Amino acid sequence: MSTSTPIIEMRGITKRFGGVTALRNVDLSAYSGEVLAIVGDNGAGKSTLIKVLTGVYQPTEGEIIFDQKPLVMSSHADAINNGIDAVYQNLALADHLTPAQNLFLGSELTKTVLGIPMLDNQKMSEQAIAVLKDRLGVQLKSMDVATESLSGGQRQAVAIARAVRHDDLRVLVMDEPTAALGPQETARTLKLIQTLRDQGLAVIVISHALDDVFEISDRIHVMRRGECAGVVQTADTTTQEVLGLITGANLTQGGAAA
Amino acid sequence: MSAATDNQTSFASRIEPYMGILGPIAMIGMIALFMGVVEPARYFRMSNINQILLDAALYMPMAMAMTFVITQRGIDLSIGSVAALSAIIMAFLMKQYDFPAWVAVIICLLLGAGMGLLNGLVITVFRVPDLIGTLAMDLVYRGFALVLAKGLVLARFPDLITEIGRGQTLQFLPTPVVIGLLTMIAGYILLRATHFGRYTISIGSNPEASEMTGISVDRHRIYAYVLMGTMAALAGLMLTGKLNAVQATSAPYFNLHVIAAVVVGGTSLFGGRASMIGSLAGVLLLSMMINALVTLRIEFFWQSVASGVVIILSVAIYTWLQKKDRDGGGSISAAFANPDNRKVGMLAVGLAVAILVLLAIGALFGGPTPT
Repeated sequence: MSTSTPIIEMRGITKRFGGVTALRNVDLSAYSGEVLAIVGDNGAGKSTLIKVLTGVYQPTEGEIIFDQKPLVMSSHADAINNGIDAVYQNLALADHLTPAQNLFLGSELTKTVLGIPMLDNQKMSEQAIAVLKDRLGVQLKSMDVATESLSGGQRQAVAIARAVRHDDLRVLVMDEPTAALGPQETARTLKLIQTLRDQGLAVIVISHALDDVFEISDRIHVMRRGECAGVVQTADTTTQEVLGLITGANLTQGGAAA
Repeated sequence: MSAATDNQTSFASRIEPYMGILGPIAMIGMIALFMGVVEPARYFRMSNINQILLDAALYMPMAMAMTFVITQRGIDLSIGSVAALSAIIMAFLMKQYDFPAWVAVIICLLLGAGMGLLNGLVITVFRVPDLIGTLAMDLVYRGFALVLAKGLVLARFPDLITEIGRGQTLQFLPTPVVIGLLTMIAGYILLRATHFGRYTISIGSNPEASEMTGISVDRHRIYAYVLMGTMAALAGLMLTGKLNAVQATSAPYFNLHVIAAVVVGGTSLFGGRASMIGSLAGVLLLSMMINALVTLRIEFFWQSVASGVVIILSVAIYTWLQKKDRDGGGSISAAFANPDNRKVGMLAVGLAVAILVLLAIGALFGGPTPT
């Protein structure tokens, strides 16, 4: 896995907002078929990093290599068109629409009735059911309900399905996927993430929950004060070591906190 | 939990999506029942039912458009003035400049669309909140109407105009009712089966998420206001035809009447929840209520009191229903076990008593009632 070339690579990314430097010379690489976790304290630059990665922000310096070619994105829509999408913590769903309507929001399927283009609600519903079932193994009791009436885990599945609906999706970024979920739904979501990895996606997960990170990730990328504090293989590391990287204290050797 | 309460909750959750239609239909039934007992002969006369429909027809196009505006979390308080100004200009074009009626009608609708566009631009480009923006534009349009027409009443128009306003050419239904129903059907299709309708709901439901999925939020908001302006102009045209006269102060109660009809019909003022059939039911309900007040020989000015009370009651009930939904409360008695709800209930009773007292004062000292 790690011997192949990364599907996406950030090289020397620096992001400044006025006089504030949010990211300083960050390198990051993610491979197809792996889960990369990004951890770090509040304000460490995790959110800025994924916003650069998903085209929401443009880097001040540095470049992004996607599929071995330089990639310049001017908007989030650019990222989606290139096969990079994100599932945000608030899921960004329109709660009054049905799951199928949410899946196709912004890129609805149409049919022509009497020469007038109309939304093809039935086709969208069928395809939504197929995506949820085939890609995520999720079956909702009813597709004709408002998304707000679904459980947290189901809503998350809808948000993920919206991203994976695009066949050319290669990189999926998930921001705090388990933060608002109970233990059962968390387990289900972690399993979903593994399913997506097994389908060959590069899944980048931002999380505060180190337990979850250790359960699902292949590698852990630690951010501290806008810089990369280290990248470790999950199998070769301990919670202590990762915590040490996050806080900057050398806990493994019993050193005092800085 | 026993089987009985289980059934109750499932019943409540099953009818919840249809509340928008069931609510007004229940109220329509109540008015019909009440009038059936008090004044059956005069209320259910064919000519009176025709009158109710004619009255409702005027508000149908505007209620259709307002459903979109309100679903997007917007509001348009300028529709009365848009209707008056476009109708006045249309009248001048025909009377003073001898435009053919059909050209004047098209110009009238285009003027309405233009005023709607202006409203939309004020709101999206200058970022003026819709409440203030359309209220201010209301003053502007009304001012222009007054400048143009002064105190003049323009009357006697070509047949096309009166046909649109009160014609009976189609036999089975008055022409304006047919026009009104057609706009409602068009609105239903627009809401269900077009990008504009879908994005209207998503914008009202979650504007930020809509923006992120690549929907041009501002453009679709402008569309809604343009539709609103056009439908307001159509209503102005229908009103002119109905009365065969128009003046600058026409259509003073359009705003709140239309908003009331839409809100009573179950479209949420908080956005995202739209019901086109509910809006139609709301329009019919208000027309029946106002007609009932007239039939009962209650003074005209009480109509605005009644409309206001209906708005408050329906918004309060819908909000309460949604809250109850979230709380997971099943039966009514369970809802009243909650001290919060008891307080709200007591307040509601207090308000109802206050309104009754006001009504009594009005009835006793309200001056001469027309006989």
